[in-house]
Amino acid sequence: MSNPSMPAPAETAPSRNLIQFALRLREAGVVAFLVLLGLAFGLLNDRFLSVQNLTIVASSAAILAIAACAQAVVLITRNLDVSVGSMMGLTAYLTADWAATHPGITPFEVVAIALLIGAALGAVNGLLVAYGKAPALIATLGTMSLYRGFTYIYAHGQEVTSSRLPPWMLTSVDARIAGVPALVLVAIAVVAAVAWFLYAYPLGRRIYAVGSNALAAWFFGLRSERVVFFAYTLCGLLCGVAGLLYAARVGTVTVVLASGWEMSSLAAAVIGGVSVSGGSGTVVGAALGAVVLATIDNGLVLLHVPEFWRMFIQGAAIVAAVAVDALIAEAIRRSTGGRRR
Amino acid sequence: MASRAKRQWPFWEIALVVAIFAAGAWSSTLSPYYLSVDQLFSSTRAFIIPGLLALGLAVVVSFGEIDISLTSTLAVGTVALSKFSAAGAPLYVAAPIVVLICGACGVFNGVLVAKWRLPSLAVTLGTMGAFRGLAFIVGSEVGYTDFNDAYSWLGSEYLFGGVVPASLVLFAIAAIAVWFLMHRTVYGRRCFSIGLNPDAAWFAGVGVIGVKIAAYALAGAFAGLAAIVWIGQYGSARGDNADGSILFVVTAVVLGGMDINGGRGTISGVALALFLLGTIRNGLGLANIGGPTQTVVLGLLLVGGVLRPAFAAALARLRRPVESADVGA
Amino acid sequence: MLNRREFGMLGAGLAMSGLAPRLAMAKDSGFKIMMTPKWTGFPYFELTGDGAKAAAKELGDTVIYAGADHAEVSLQVETLQNFVTQKPDAIILAAIDLNAVAPVLVDARKKGIVVATYDADAAVPARDFFCNQLSYEQAAKLMLDCALIDVPEGGEIAFIAASPTSPNHMAHIKIMTELSQSDAKYKVFKPVDTQFAADDDAKSYDVAVNLMQAHPNLKVIISSSAVSAPAAARAIEASGHVGKVYATGFALPSAIKRYLENGSQKAFGFWDPFELGYVVAYETHMKLAGKFDPSKVGATIEVPKANATFTAGKDGEVVYGKPLIFTKETVGKYNF
Repeated sequence: MSNPSMPAPAETAPSRNLIQFALRLREAGVVAFLVLLGLAFGLLNDRFLSVQNLTIVASSAAILAIAACAQAVVLITRNLDVSVGSMMGLTAYLTADWAATHPGITPFEVVAIALLIGAALGAVNGLLVAYGKAPALIATLGTMSLYRGFTYIYAHGQEVTSSRLPPWMLTSVDARIAGVPALVLVAIAVVAAVAWFLYAYPLGRRIYAVGSNALAAWFFGLRSERVVFFAYTLCGLLCGVAGLLYAARVGTVTVVLASGWEMSSLAAAVIGGVSVSGGSGTVVGAALGAVVLATIDNGLVLLHVPEFWRMFIQGAAIVAAVAVDALIAEAIRRSTGGRRR
Repeated sequence: MASRAKRQWPFWEIALVVAIFAAGAWSSTLSPYYLSVDQLFSSTRAFIIPGLLALGLAVVVSFGEIDISLTSTLAVGTVALSKFSAAGAPLYVAAPIVVLICGACGVFNGVLVAKWRLPSLAVTLGTMGAFRGLAFIVGSEVGYTDFNDAYSWLGSEYLFGGVVPASLVLFAIAAIAVWFLMHRTVYGRRCFSIGLNPDAAWFAGVGVIGVKIAAYALAGAFAGLAAIVWIGQYGSARGDNADGSILFVVTAVVLGGMDINGGRGTISGVALALFLLGTIRNGLGLANIGGPTQTVVLGLLLVGGVLRPAFAAALARLRRPVESADVGA
Repeated sequence: MLNRREFGMLGAGLAMSGLAPRLAMAKDSGFKIMMTPKWTGFPYFELTGDGAKAAAKELGDTVIYAGADHAEVSLQVETLQNFVTQKPDAIILAAIDLNAVAPVLVDARKKGIVVATYDADAAVPARDFFCNQLSYEQAAKLMLDCALIDVPEGGEIAFIAASPTSPNHMAHIKIMTELSQSDAKYKVFKPVDTQFAADDDAKSYDVAVNLMQAHPNLKVIISSSAVSAPAAARAIEASGHVGKVYATGFALPSAIKRYLENGSQKAFGFWDPFELGYVVAYETHMKLAGKFDPSKVGATIEVPKANATFTAGKDGEVVYGKPLIFTKETVGKYNF
């Protein structure tokens, strides 16, 4: 098994280099798609490629990027989480309500609350899926309803309006550092941190291991339950961050906040090359997928394309992304001598 | 493993039947209006449309795939019907063509999943948006409501002395047909075998691709039938028809005991689950208990239902502590 | 032995008891009214529910307020079906889809239930009357007046609506466009775009941002949806367009208080949802008691608590018509 374009590595893992290369290729695919989109829109509308517009695209992609990152972590373990939107909503509402009723609250406390609540919600999912052995779709479908319903019951027909939120919450999200919105910087930092963790830390690697070959992982002695539980908890934590940012960005916190985001985060992750069957894809890819979706949305608005075409095009983009991803995966499998499934 | 599967099914369905009666009893205490024949029958209309979709979805789930684009296919169906109605076509011409169109949508999904081997969740996530967008594009924004009586008959008429909704009769026929298909024909057995062990099924000569595409087509066709019922029940065809109700459909299938990874489950379970969900929704609705509470109850049901195997396994382990090898559990 | 007087009284008593059931049917209180909004959990609708309950309490009726937690047509129809089963005297609703609810409401009316709509109408044969918070012309003029407060010299304007299928929003936009072409007062405005945000705040925010991007000379974003207006205001604040672009339209005062107080926005319009709920329940009660017949054009009804008399118009539309404009000075007066 030799590949002329790769240097001949040590005898230990020739195919591993190829796999790494292919994984990088996947990211390259999304980036290429993004560049193509950018060029196409830029040609069709001269305002698209302006710095101001690109900043807008980045801002609207930022929160989705974090949610996609959260979803990706779970997807990599060969599970999924459809309670993402509900977790974002519940965390946002509880945190915002707490902040509104405790005026002297510090930013640190607000963030800490959001992280704690998010992690707790994610942990429940983790318990159900990892230890309760419940199929991921069903368990998270159940928690989706539970969390959203609880948000309603807690809210009692109220919403947390922008005038009740601590002002620094709103202004900090709008702030710009060197012309780049703080929101975008936070998103980049979060995604980078998670990506680094998955790459550099053993627990992060185990997430990939459990997702790509659970049986082999078990033989290796990996406690897959702990890994999956951790993945869900991390997902919940990230949803907490995303929910908090969402609340600060839009200013009004309603009970239906982020409903439907489970689908968007899934779509972004899928477009970004994260495989629904687990084991491959990166959170950076998922974040790029979010950028792709935001780009399509923004570009089509600039081109005055009616709303319905956007829905159609986004759906078609997802199918296209999945097809391309599968082609690449098939190419990898064939070249590494995998069995035809 | 197959024999353990066989022993499991009746248990779950018996539990569902018991739950239905319990829910019914509870509902009748919640509201004095519950226990009337008229009411009980007309309340079934609330879940016939998701029920038809659930029947189709159950076939797809039986071999371990999923289809979340069915509600969008329904919208395509209603919009197509509106075009026929506007052109003055009689129902017996429009209906089969619309069912075929929706079936074709299903075939599209099926080809992507079976032939190109794309992951079904991701693919149908995409077609969910694409089909709905298509429905909007074709259907125009305002929607169409001028359906004549022939078109509306199926979704609005009551038979047998004005008690039994015609759509319920359709659902019963469909449920029996799908039950027969899945549990009494070779096709059904092939579906389950693919779900249990795709490689073995392939080696055994089962035409996996054909089976899968056929199932997706069937699910699409059922969405077309559901579209016809929708017209009669709601009288309006618009791109946003049935938007968002796919999760209820999935809940019904899952609560009915279909294993989401394929290979196990019964159609009778799905039908019973639909009745259970319908009973609970009806009972809570008649007692004017709010939507959020219903959502929470639904969530609890799902979580409870899903923990059942874990409880059963834990109980079994308690009873036979020596025998259970703690295999990574 | 009964004397003649006692015998007469006994006879009269028997006769009265025979009449009594028929007299009781012509009652004027103790009605059961069931009410459902587009979706529960939205403060605007919750307030209309509270207003209706207040009216019921005063008049001796009961109002039961219930509904699904998100705006889905099939769920609203299911709720209405459940209402009908409970045999109320009247049903009040804000319809999500004016045609989809028609079959069940027509059925309800056949059963003698009075059907009233508010905020969002249903098909004309499906309801006895529609308590329209503002006539479409009033609403359009109100929003344009607010826009004039924002930018007296005029300029480009854009609209945000919930969806192309929301009848009131689309009617507003149509009339606003006509007014900007025909009415001298509003000729300064030039509509350039209409976008849809499905009553979702994040979408409204993004739509507002995109609108400002697509139209660099945009002056006002007008939004019929009470969800979109605050989001647009936020978008303007966040993107640094304060003072260059204004958001206006309909919004709850509590939602836009911040922007009025910090000066980034100048005026929004709305009406009192509590009073709207009160009025529609009051009108329903009067119809049930036979004191108000909205099918007759010109029939009037006086609602003392609202200090107003309302008149039935064409097709049973009873306009509530009390628009409010909130500015920095007045927003503090309201607690909703």
